[in-house]
Amino acid sequence: MKAKRIDHVGIVVKDLDAATATYARHFDLAVDSARGGEVAALGIKNAFMPIGESDLEFIQPLTAEGPVAQFAAERGEGTFMLSIEVDDLEKAVEELRSHGARVGNPANGIAFVSMKSTHGVNLQLIERKTS
Amino acid sequence: MGVGATQIDHIVISSNDSAATAKLFSENYGIEIKRVMSRPGTGAHLEFAKLDEVVLEFAGPGEVKSYDEVKARIGGVVLTVTDIDAAVAHLRGLGYDVSDARPAVQPGAKISAVKAGTHGVPFALIQYNALPVEAPNA
Repeated sequence: MKAKRIDHVGIVVKDLDAATATYARHFDLAVDSARGGEVAALGIKNAFMPIGESDLEFIQPLTAEGPVAQFAAERGEGTFMLSIEVDDLEKAVEELRSHGARVGNPANGIAFVSMKSTHGVNLQLIERKTS
Repeated sequence: MGVGATQIDHIVISSNDSAATAKLFSENYGIEIKRVMSRPGTGAHLEFAKLDEVVLEFAGPGEVKSYDEVKARIGGVVLTVTDIDAAVAHLRGLGYDVSDARPAVQPGAKISAVKAGTHGVPFALIQYNALPVEAPNA
């Protein structure tokens, strides 16, 4: 597969509003109001703050279950995930699996790579649909 | 004036074996390593790749000890600013603990670390073309 671009960096925070307010007031970033919100299936709420061609994604766990909550419980706030854009997600997943990497099934344009296949880096692959 | 951040310059992937982690990302994810170096002073082993406008920096010890497994994590995020001295002054005025801007390993660049107050994210600021670059000897 060929990584195309860093799409975003995921940052786990305890209080989404406080974190985005900090980055807005002190680092001049702005929340993209067209994206983000509660994702009940993942037990999180998130917000995206664009910078250059990438985003910072701030993620607050809403439940005690799931990888975000687990990260927050073990490490508190911090950099959680790297999201890399690929041209063809299905093809990328297939290719990675052929090399022995453990990758989740693609859903909604994203797939997660097992940390066992990344030396521990939480890696997401994402395909952006162009209109 | 605020910080004046324009883009993510680079993301640091810290590893106990940065060469092995860079190799994994190169072979599995098609990320081409463009530069390999030892950090002056510390001897840390650094490998750099670029994805569009963002650099991935794989950083680890210069001497790799024996280990059971290679362990890596996202170590920090570096933002490009247009005026690092003004950005440092701005953040200090807001009460942040920010290091003095110092020469970076990137030629002509200065870098400064934001030590706390960033919701757990190790942040640094970098300005390119901040220092004169010595021309190579003819």
